[in-house]
Amino acid sequence: MLDPAFTSALAEVLPPSSLLTAAEDTRPYECDGLTLFRQQPGAVLLPDDESQVVEILRRCHAAGVPVVARGAGTSLSGGALPVVDGVVLSLAKFRRIVAIDADARTAVVGPGVRNLAISEAAAAHGLFYAPDPSSQIACSIGGNVAENAGGVHCLKYGLTVHNVRKVRVVLIDGDIVEFGGESLDSSGYDLLALITGSEGLLGVITQITVKLLPRPPFAQVALAAFGDIEKAGAAVGAIIAAGIVPSGLEMMDQQATRAVEQFVHADYPLDAAAVLLVESDGTPVEVAAEMAEINDVLNASGATEIRVSRDEAQRILYWSGRKAAFPAVGRISPDYYCIDGTIPRGALSRVLRQIETWSAEFGLRCANVFHAGDGNLHPLILFDANRPGDQARTIEFGDRILQLCIDVGGTITGEHGVGIEKIGGMCAQFPTPVLERFLGIKAAFDPDGLLNPGKGVPTLARCAEFGRMHVHHGQLPHPDLPRF
Amino acid sequence: MNDATGVRTRPALADVAALTERLRDAYGDRATTTHAIREQHSHGEGLADAALPDIVVFPEDNDEVSAIVRSCHAARIPVIAFGVGTSLEGHVAALYGGVCVDLSRMNRVLQVNDADLDCRVQAGVTREQLNAELKGTGLFFPIDPGADATIGGMAATRASGTNAVRYGTMRENVLGLTVVTADGRVIRTGSRARKSSAGYDLTRLFVGSEGTLGLITEIQLRLYGIPESISAAVCQFDSLKHAVDTVIVAMQLGIPVARIELLDDVQMDACIRYSQLTEFAVKPTLFFEFHGTEAAVREQAEMIEAITAEHGGSAFRWATNPEDRSRLWKARHNAYYAAMALAPGRQGFATDACVPISRLTECVMETRDDVAATGLIAPIVGHVGDGNFHLVVLFDPASADERARAEALAARVSRRAIAMGGTCTGEHGIGMHKLDALREEHGDAVALMQTIKRALDPLDILNPGKTVPLR
Repeated sequence: MLDPAFTSALAEVLPPSSLLTAAEDTRPYECDGLTLFRQQPGAVLLPDDESQVVEILRRCHAAGVPVVARGAGTSLSGGALPVVDGVVLSLAKFRRIVAIDADARTAVVGPGVRNLAISEAAAAHGLFYAPDPSSQIACSIGGNVAENAGGVHCLKYGLTVHNVRKVRVVLIDGDIVEFGGESLDSSGYDLLALITGSEGLLGVITQITVKLLPRPPFAQVALAAFGDIEKAGAAVGAIIAAGIVPSGLEMMDQQATRAVEQFVHADYPLDAAAVLLVESDGTPVEVAAEMAEINDVLNASGATEIRVSRDEAQRILYWSGRKAAFPAVGRISPDYYCIDGTIPRGALSRVLRQIETWSAEFGLRCANVFHAGDGNLHPLILFDANRPGDQARTIEFGDRILQLCIDVGGTITGEHGVGIEKIGGMCAQFPTPVLERFLGIKAAFDPDGLLNPGKGVPTLARCAEFGRMHVHHGQLPHPDLPRF
Repeated sequence: MNDATGVRTRPALADVAALTERLRDAYGDRATTTHAIREQHSHGEGLADAALPDIVVFPEDNDEVSAIVRSCHAARIPVIAFGVGTSLEGHVAALYGGVCVDLSRMNRVLQVNDADLDCRVQAGVTREQLNAELKGTGLFFPIDPGADATIGGMAATRASGTNAVRYGTMRENVLGLTVVTADGRVIRTGSRARKSSAGYDLTRLFVGSEGTLGLITEIQLRLYGIPESISAAVCQFDSLKHAVDTVIVAMQLGIPVARIELLDDVQMDACIRYSQLTEFAVKPTLFFEFHGTEAAVREQAEMIEAITAEHGGSAFRWATNPEDRSRLWKARHNAYYAAMALAPGRQGFATDACVPISRLTECVMETRDDVAATGLIAPIVGHVGDGNFHLVVLFDPASADERARAEALAARVSRRAIAMGGTCTGEHGIGMHKLDALREEHGDAVALMQTIKRALDPLDILNPGKTVPLR
């Protein structure tokens, strides 16, 4: 419950339609894509412009009221979960594509612009915005920056951090700063990288300049079948080790392909233990040369069958299975839990084999659908929340996978962020001196800890208390959205 | 040490003497106060603004670096990391004395993971040493700032180089670090995984922090497969504008050229004389290098040739065998020395503007007119594919007026780049010479950088007075 005096102060800044306080109005904001956690906020604020954001933050700062910034609410880690006695600051109205500069190959956009909308607007110039998280039809670019979002194409084109040039940020005291620049490099400390992936803990982003790339004239995808999952894992390593940088390198195991085939009929070989999708893009000459190399490596790695897309329709068909994998898995199991660990590619076979062993041990099916080229695993643990013990075992299974990711030199989240979900896992991944630096940086930006408290970086006290890996089951909303 | 007014001052002599004594006891020959060694560690390759450290120590592992920094922390004495001294903006000058930590003995390649295309090296490994050690693996480390700098120094200054247009800068190629913090803790940032959303991006915060936030002692680097085919070509133009316009078109089409270097007529003249490139004319010139499969290289070259022809470029002169290629790139890397040789007895320093590619022609042409108006010799050379170019500004050290004109020119170059949405430094860094430009470029964000500096180095002992000075 917010202090009525504070609500009145907000009413000086925002028209009534942009200031939601009634329980029925704030309910849609009680969670994001991680629905296990719910909390209704004291108010939801929907500013129209930056000057309102400045005034809101000044008032929150003065009154000591926590602020949770929110984009499209598609976060899978609870990054936009409201805080008791706090406000949700929605950037949903910042939907303007301010400028597209085809010569400089940049777009200046509001944080509420949908990821895919940027590429759609840039298409007229033959350009596109490369990072393509699963939820790109819905998720906002501001949220992408806050989470350092990835996607299928980031193997070749980089993560959000590689594709953002400049951001405008309102700090908690209402000051406006800009990080980065319009040129390729910028001077001084890399505050742009620091705010990218900072999950709303350092400031509120009000404008973003993204890099655009020329749309490759041609693309082909090879679908390769393997008799066992380790060989498929080794093939991924062999492709990378051969110096090939595919524009997409995705893997699905049999559990996943069978679920997909029933759902979208993507023409996958169902007897295969695993399939790889390897995409090459560029000029037809480049693609032909790269595809020949990819074919050689796949053959040498023991692929039992290789099909290369004949035309654009077939390329899209092969990808349709991958894109539909999450909802397809949702059809074969009452519940599933998506893990998001990343490992060095060399450890792929070992980790996949271990997951297989644990799957048998826990008696829980596990479908693997993931960005193999980046080593970003998304094991989907299938369970039934109504069956006693399933959920606890699922969490235990997930913990083990993430601990294994850390043990082989990887990380507990490749692209979904820490949010509230993995706050305990942070204690397992980072030793105290590193956490101290994180907290020092947080304090430099937001000494009172008002921006998105309780997320992203755990307090040392919390780590002392919950030292072990601690992750939670989350159900996926909008199961119809294509997800990678 | 800070006096009552908050101005950073040199530490007390007695404290320095006590620390020096302690370091000598602990490290013997590896801790020296010899004037010649201190002098050698007081500057990089830019203008000599010598400020000598009190002692130079040569640690051999992380624990030793940690112990040295702990001692400095306890005594509140400055500590400055040193690689091989190739920086250009006075990064290593010991403005307040203190301890210079020379990392050249930490020169081991710790790990090469050829399947994952990465490696881990100690900070004192130089880029040429790394590539020599990678021989036989089929891999290479592409970032090439010209000088045979250490990887630690390159990470600390966020170096880039001639092929950043294809491979990026140190920002894109450092996967993780081992850093000794201001209080002497050894921390690891990043991981061998290619992506992570866990925690703040400390790796990129330390990359480019110029020794002011921590001492980088180990670096996890991305490696690349040696391209199947490499070829280089040279194209000459009658007008500088046409040469630059060519680059802009090539970049807008997204042709993945590995390097594009621009040399104006003055620089070309210097290189022809210095490196005996007698087959070329004194004209604005572009050097290209193409990497890829044979088919891809052929295709890229054909596309570029079509663009150069449209802009009045000469026929390509090819260098496909490694000897010819290395001769060309050696000439490019010696551009600075070649420029210096144009006017013996003068001193020189390099500017480092980087602008959005769409503003490049405008910026280069205005800069050239600006140079002409000053009457100074200042050839233009640069990695124009990423919008970055340099002037080598020559001046007579005996003439205060000429030095003032040279410095004013450099300040205008920075200001012009910033006004066009670019930066005062594409790759050399801020050091001690571009503090004003940093403020101009970033405005209020500099105060935030200072807050971060204070958070990670509250006693202001790490390379004080550089990059983001606290006072």
